[in-house]
Amino acid sequence: MTSRTRWTPYVFISPFFILFFVFMIVPVGAGAYLSLTEWAGLGTPEFIGLDNYRRLMDDPVFGISLFNTGFYTLCALLIVFPAALLMAVALNARGLKLRDFFRMIYFMPVVLSPIIIALIFGLIFDGEYGLFNAILQALFGYAGINWLTDPLWARVVVVILVLWRWTGFLTIFFLAGLQGIPRELYESAEIDGAGPLRRFFSVTMPQLRPVTAFIAVTMLFNTAQIFEEPFLLTEGGPGQSTVSIAMFIYRAGFEQQELGYAAAAGVMMFIIVFVLGLAAARVFGVGRSNQ
Amino acid sequence: MKPMSRRRALQTMGLAGLGVVGLTGCRFVGETQTVTSGQAPIEMWTHDPGYAEFFTQAAADEELVGGSPWDFDVNVTSVSADGVVTRLITQAVARRPLPDMAGLEIDQFARMLRSGIAENLLVDLTSLADQHGENLLRTEAYSSEGRVFAIESDNCISVMWYRQDLFEELGIPEDVETWEEMLEIGAEVAADGGYAIGMVSNSGTAVVQSFGQMLLQRGGSFYDAEGQLSVVSEEAVDALEMMAEGVRSGAFLSMGDPYGGATAAALGDDRLIAIVMPNWYEAYGLQANVPEQEGLWRARTIPRFSGGGHIASTIGGTAFGVVADQPLSDAAVDFLDRTYLSPEGQLARYHAGGYLPTLVDLYQTNEFLSIESEFLGGQRIFEVYGPAAEDLPPYYQSENSPQMREAFAGPLLNAIHGNVAPEDALQAAADSYHRQVDE
Repeated sequence: MTSRTRWTPYVFISPFFILFFVFMIVPVGAGAYLSLTEWAGLGTPEFIGLDNYRRLMDDPVFGISLFNTGFYTLCALLIVFPAALLMAVALNARGLKLRDFFRMIYFMPVVLSPIIIALIFGLIFDGEYGLFNAILQALFGYAGINWLTDPLWARVVVVILVLWRWTGFLTIFFLAGLQGIPRELYESAEIDGAGPLRRFFSVTMPQLRPVTAFIAVTMLFNTAQIFEEPFLLTEGGPGQSTVSIAMFIYRAGFEQQELGYAAAAGVMMFIIVFVLGLAAARVFGVGRSNQ
Repeated sequence: MKPMSRRRALQTMGLAGLGVVGLTGCRFVGETQTVTSGQAPIEMWTHDPGYAEFFTQAAADEELVGGSPWDFDVNVTSVSADGVVTRLITQAVARRPLPDMAGLEIDQFARMLRSGIAENLLVDLTSLADQHGENLLRTEAYSSEGRVFAIESDNCISVMWYRQDLFEELGIPEDVETWEEMLEIGAEVAADGGYAIGMVSNSGTAVVQSFGQMLLQRGGSFYDAEGQLSVVSEEAVDALEMMAEGVRSGAFLSMGDPYGGATAAALGDDRLIAIVMPNWYEAYGLQANVPEQEGLWRARTIPRFSGGGHIASTIGGTAFGVVADQPLSDAAVDFLDRTYLSPEGQLARYHAGGYLPTLVDLYQTNEFLSIESEFLGGQRIFEVYGPAAEDLPPYYQSENSPQMREAFAGPLLNAIHGNVAPEDALQAAADSYHRQVDE
């Protein structure tokens, strides 16, 4: 083997490793180091050990952001995920006309600018002049829900926005998975006397497992890092009631100019998301064979 | 040649990567050559096209810049308000080109108070400000340890805007003396016709802004001159009680976004018939949202609190600072002095974008007193702004102002919605603040 041929494979794989090192390992390492310092962005970071982490543990807003992120993630998994699956099953029904049209419609919220979505949702859910309260007033004579100014309802609106924005998108993945399931399996199950529910749980769900695992883990990662929805819709308010961890980091870094503190929160988020991701990957069997 | 092991190859690539990263941080930094006269193309960053327009025109205005050793020209880069500060810092750290002047929105300036960022990045303009003494307003918000680092563009005086036609129709006197009387009337017109004589904003941290306006008017303050939190006070309790009572009685509307569609709708359908807001609200709030109501609105000073305080208040503001150690730093200071701190510059600024003078003696001059607002039915608006400017409360901030806004937003909302007593809300907010800022 000549020297040139010995080097060739390393040269081919090197671009990825160089880029990975420069754009991933270095920033992550720098972030981890910054989390142990006090730094406003200018001058030399001052090493303060674990003080930022101690402060985080005592910061009520960080506690709220942890709770909110958990709430959004749970809602996404318990509401958005099943809703997407059910919609996909409906779209996969035999004889459905305009399937492509519906697919496009469901996909549209993802393509729309989040700023426009937030503006429209702001108008729909406004307590005084919103469409939703107007409908409630017309139907039930009650329009007293402060959607965006009551802490509980504001969280609900953020979840509704997540639901509206992502359900259609996930439906496309489920639909692709459903279309890959051989019809014969359903026919065999039907011959064996399986009803629609039994067919769903005994044929559809097992066959969809790889897709389900991918969607669940992706959804978990995305929702655990949720930022745009509460940032644009409620600015984290009323008060701090809809702040997510990603928003907390943004505020600490770019509104309060505490980059070390923001980095510490970032490290915490990384650990939480990483652990949750690992757990989800194990639960859903990501990367394991179907056998 | 001995074949390279995989581990060795990865180590080599790692070191090469580190080398690349290290080299990107190295570059030649030349000495700054100060330009003392001649061509001065000022690089400026601002978030507001109004300032861009004013400075561009001012650079060519002989009345303003004539006699200067520099021949000014202005190149404006439009950057978001928070982006100005973020980019100033990142560019400085990366030793990349910086502007000569930057427009610093008042809340964003608080970020520059941390770790001496303002002192390191900006020219000390104290001597410029000191030439005008107490005649120059609103320097305290842009100061650090007694030194001024930016000059305010607009006094941002809050007054009460009201619908004269509806006040007359509803029998509301235009010269009500106190908030207590005003609230009583407000509760009556709210119960009778669903009218509101004020608004409390409750989205995100905007509630803190709403409260801050009332707090300053009552004579309180978030911070004292030394930057210590001073909000737990009798004045703060009065202001918060007044807001809570206004919302409870319906005299005040509780709105999400003070500048959003719902507020525009409330103005448009004659529901919101009075509002306390700064001078810029005439253009950006009223004229923008309800141009058809031209001639129906008027302005007056804010009713006093019977417990004391002022007849005016303030929200917002943008000051311009000069970036230090730039070739054109001296030229930029001269440009700022001529355009911002001369009577001609202040008048030109008002005509360009409605920016109120920061030199308080100008409010009594004929040039300003004779100005009539078409939108306000020909009202001589400086007859209102004049007394208000003389009684304008100071606004101090601290490097922890952003944390303060976050800590206070929730408890203030709770108090305004009647869930907790104002004293308890303020104390809870102060406790939360102290836990967040790690004092």
